[in-house]
Amino acid sequence: MKGTYLGEFEEIILLAVAILSGDAYGASVTNEIEQQMGRAVNLGAVHAALHRLEEKGFITSQMGGATNERGGRRKRIFSVTALGIRALETIRQLRNQMWDNIPKPAGV
Amino acid sequence: MNSHPETKPPKWANKLLHLFCTSDLIEEIEGDLHELFEERLKYRGEKTARFRYIIDVLSLIRPFAMKRRKLSYPKPTLFGQAMLKINLKIAFRNLWKHKAFSFINVMGLSVGMSACFLIAMYVHFELTYDAFHKKADRIYRLATDLKTPSETLNYSISSWAFAPNIKSEFAEVEAFTRLATRNYLVRKGDLKFKEEKTVFADSTFFKVFDFQLIKGDPQTALKDQMNVVFTEKTARKYFGNGDPIGQTVLLGEDGIAATVTGVMRDIPQNSQIKGDLFVSMSSYTQRFNKGVDQNWGDFGAVTYLLLKPGIDPQKLSAKFPTFLQNHAGKMMLEQQMQMSLIMEPLLDIYLDSPREAEESGSIENVNIFSIVALFILLIACINFVNLTTARSVERAREVGVRKAVGAPRSVLTRQFICESVLLCMIAFIIAVLLSALTIPFFNDLSGKIISTGILDSMPFVGGLFACAVLIGCIAGIYPAFVLSSFDPISVLKGRFSASAKGIFMRKGLVTAQFSISIALIIATIIVYSQLDFMRNRDLGFSKEQMLVISSQTRPERNTFQESLLGISGIKSTTASSRVPGSKSNQAYSEIENAKGNMQTGNLEVYSVDFDFIEQFGLKVVAGRTFSKNFGSDSSKALVINEAAARMLGFHSPQQALGKKYKQWGREGTIIGVVKDFHFKSLQESITPLTFRFLDWWNGNQLSVKISGGNLKNTLTSIENQWKLHNPDRPFTYFFMDEFFDRQYRSDERFERLFFYFSILAIFISSLGLLGLASYSTMQRTKEIGVRKVMGASTGSIVGLLSVDFLKLVVLAFIIASPLAWYAMNSWLKNFAYQTDIKWWVFAIAALLSCLVAFTTISFQSIKAALMNPVKSLKTE
Repeated sequence: MKGTYLGEFEEIILLAVAILSGDAYGASVTNEIEQQMGRAVNLGAVHAALHRLEEKGFITSQMGGATNERGGRRKRIFSVTALGIRALETIRQLRNQMWDNIPKPAGV
Repeated sequence: MNSHPETKPPKWANKLLHLFCTSDLIEEIEGDLHELFEERLKYRGEKTARFRYIIDVLSLIRPFAMKRRKLSYPKPTLFGQAMLKINLKIAFRNLWKHKAFSFINVMGLSVGMSACFLIAMYVHFELTYDAFHKKADRIYRLATDLKTPSETLNYSISSWAFAPNIKSEFAEVEAFTRLATRNYLVRKGDLKFKEEKTVFADSTFFKVFDFQLIKGDPQTALKDQMNVVFTEKTARKYFGNGDPIGQTVLLGEDGIAATVTGVMRDIPQNSQIKGDLFVSMSSYTQRFNKGVDQNWGDFGAVTYLLLKPGIDPQKLSAKFPTFLQNHAGKMMLEQQMQMSLIMEPLLDIYLDSPREAEESGSIENVNIFSIVALFILLIACINFVNLTTARSVERAREVGVRKAVGAPRSVLTRQFICESVLLCMIAFIIAVLLSALTIPFFNDLSGKIISTGILDSMPFVGGLFACAVLIGCIAGIYPAFVLSSFDPISVLKGRFSASAKGIFMRKGLVTAQFSISIALIIATIIVYSQLDFMRNRDLGFSKEQMLVISSQTRPERNTFQESLLGISGIKSTTASSRVPGSKSNQAYSEIENAKGNMQTGNLEVYSVDFDFIEQFGLKVVAGRTFSKNFGSDSSKALVINEAAARMLGFHSPQQALGKKYKQWGREGTIIGVVKDFHFKSLQESITPLTFRFLDWWNGNQLSVKISGGNLKNTLTSIENQWKLHNPDRPFTYFFMDEFFDRQYRSDERFERLFFYFSILAIFISSLGLLGLASYSTMQRTKEIGVRKVMGASTGSIVGLLSVDFLKLVVLAFIIASPLAWYAMNSWLKNFAYQTDIKWWVFAIAALLSCLVAFTTISFQSIKAALMNPVKSLKTE
């Protein structure tokens, strides 16, 4: 299924949104990923991925409250949908299944 | 909480963001950017924060954030797809609603366009003669003017010795090639044909010109003696599909073996140089006519010079007089003549050179046809403008409503132009189809293969397309402005009446159309009467019932001639070197003139036998003709025509008798003078002519006078005799009258083209008139009803409706006739013998145009007049 395919970066973003549940927006997701993965991420890439995920129906969004750091600008708060949760679970299951299939070396 | 309150993200990056980012995303994105900036500023320092800020902005330049998202909330556009679609839809509905009107409109335009298309192809064809040679701009024909005490001769040919000497003396000349066309018998096994276009050509032929060899080496193909290059078509005739290279054919009466060394592509239609087979020049100059190369006085070849790039032809030709003086000065002095050489650019020869040529076009005809094409297109455009504006009243209400709901003028203008372009596009498609269908007829009409089909003329189709769009825009502008200028209040309030200015304009345009058509009709009648005049004029000799066979010379001819006398149906036979209508042939002659001096000149020569003058019905006005009773006649006598006597200064033909002459190795006296007769076409005046008795080597034209009755049987008997006497030669003959009239073929073509195009012009004009008449009758439906109720007769109503338009036709006639008279008078000046322009020509044109106009109008007016007034009063 082309429409619901999750790319690696998309998967990471989706996970970050899930972690930050309720407080996920562009800047916080960027920070979360930078901290978790220890690498620099462009805001553009994050926004593009969020946009795609929303189009695919894995996350939804609504405009949230404003904070001072943002100069009074509102944030768009993202949250994972049931479809998004199921997609994450499927991926995890698939990975686990594959891990299980790796033959264990003798003696371990 | 902010440690650097004054530190702000880079301004330009922010501006950039606003530039590309769509407005419904800008708030959250900018917020995120600022939040991250503050954070980074706190933990990583200003530099990193700024740098990351810029990187983030740049990374946001992605499709999802771009401004195109605006499209989901589009603003109404002035000329978007939607509007265009509506315009087209309405245009189609309008066309469909008024089918007859649209049909007339489109028909007129497409007929005009395809006429224009065909003429454009013809004009292009004529203008690009010889242009396919890559070096065409450096090729010149070397022509000669010969001035003798009697006349100046403008030859297109030059002497054999000129070119080789010019090449060796002047470094400016890169190459030369000489061409001499002869009529040769070619045999290959049982196949034998008289090849009228056997051309002797120098080996440089393929270097100077761009004729392509399919087989053989262009360097050497025409180098050695008795080498022959065939064109593809000729090669097929002799060799079928076999390979001709290396094969042998027999050339000429004596059957000299020649080897085929090349096959060339057929010569393009628009080439002045024609030929079916090319024989190496060395065969001629070193074998058939040995030593002719050194003869400065022997004119027989057309010479082309290829100059080196950058050479000024003027400077080169300035050196020619000295060159001629050095080489031929003595000869010119002896023969009392003066030669001068002229270099004619290859590209100008076909249209501009007045010198004799196998085929020549006329720049005048090209101009005339271009004008005719423009006129026809103009008539078609006028139709279009007229018909569209005439309908403005009907559409006035539509315009009113549109304006009332807020359409600006520009939108309306665009709508109407859109409609007219659409109409032109439909006309264009029909015009292309029409042209595709008529190309074969047009080729036939013009006597040339102008185009092999519409697919080969794609550049022209493209041109026509551009033309159609342009016409659509130009013709659409006036109606568009008129229609869009209506005042919505007055239009919507009540009946709108067409302005007097608009009516005046339409009438003016109709008058212009009819003026052009009438001028074309007059021109056609005059062209026709001139040709009729030429065909029916007494030529001074009889050409009827005369058959001319291309025979041999003595003694074979004599035995054949005797054998013919036995056939019933043959009255007499005579042999001569030429017959009236043949190519000109001149001899250097010296004749004693009225002052007693020997006057020199190059005079036309006919070599004839005893019966020629009698059989051709020439009148002897002084002295006698050649007679068997005088033994010396066959070697000493000369007969001249009246023109020659006049040239020598004699007041009466009698005075010329007994005068001395010298010509082509003969000396003697003039024994007779014949009345002038037209031995050339009537385009030329009668020139001095001499008759001498046949030499042993000429006289291969055998004219046979037959009495009426069974022509077919007589012909068969002649052919049987021919086969008996000449088993290895083809029997070729022609009829004298057809042969002579062949000279008028191009004039006849001109006549026919003119005829058809003037019919087209009047047809298109009538279409316009029909549309206009039907419209104006419709306008007056109620008036006609009232008149009928009051007791008007049908006739008076028809008259009422017609007289308005007939007035215009009369006005058009008054404008057209002096113009046509002037133009045709100058056309007639091309002919040495011309018919008068008679008054009835104009009368016929006037009558004809009135008749056409009246018939056209009456379609509508009679219908309107016969209509039941009850019905017509009910309308509106």
